[in-house]
Amino acid sequence: MADQVEYEFKKETISKLLTKSFTDNKTKVSGDAVILMCEILKVFVEEASRRAVKQATTEDGEQVDVEHFEKVLPQLLLDF
Amino acid sequence: MDDTLAQTQRLKAAIHFTTGQICQTIAADCGREFSRQTIAAIAETTFRQCDTFAKDLEAFARHAKRNTINMDDVKLVSRRSTALSTYVQEKSEELASAHQEQKEKRRKNTVKRKHQDTEGDTRQNED
Repeated sequence: MADQVEYEFKKETISKLLTKSFTDNKTKVSGDAVILMCEILKVFVEEASRRAVKQATTEDGEQVDVEHFEKVLPQLLLDF
Repeated sequence: MDDTLAQTQRLKAAIHFTTGQICQTIAADCGREFSRQTIAAIAETTFRQCDTFAKDLEAFARHAKRNTINMDDVKLVSRRSTALSTYVQEKSEELASAHQEQKEKRRKNTVKRKHQDTEGDTRQNED
């Protein structure tokens, strides 16, 4: 039984990324909020991947191609 | 400024790297492979989605007349999906209880230290 390694986004990366998008200089993020955002983004990537795989399976594709991802993208963005 | 561009590139690369790792895990789980372009597309989408999230979080915090974004704002950002908001709620409770435990430990340690100090004093008095 292989131990599942959980890959996560680094807190520092997400913190810098969020801060870059703020329109106000005074806006800051709390440490806990960054941790939660890392979780949300991880779920986002997992959901995107799994939906793309499903689409590829439906279309009997060998590999998961960009076309498969493009088809699931609109619904993915609406659901988030 | 060139610095901002370089920083953006670095952040994009970091996102791409972790995205690739997560995709590989799922690929192994589902028995399928992702093309490199697909992983790049997912990474780019995640990068842009993060920008949207950041602006939403800032707006929520500002609406609450705060400068610092906290867990409540993040919970709001996850409101569209019930499953996601339940998950975020659980995680935020875990974090909150972890903080509580740390506070309790610190209190116990300070109380212990105070007891040790007073015991030391009484011993000296007896001598």
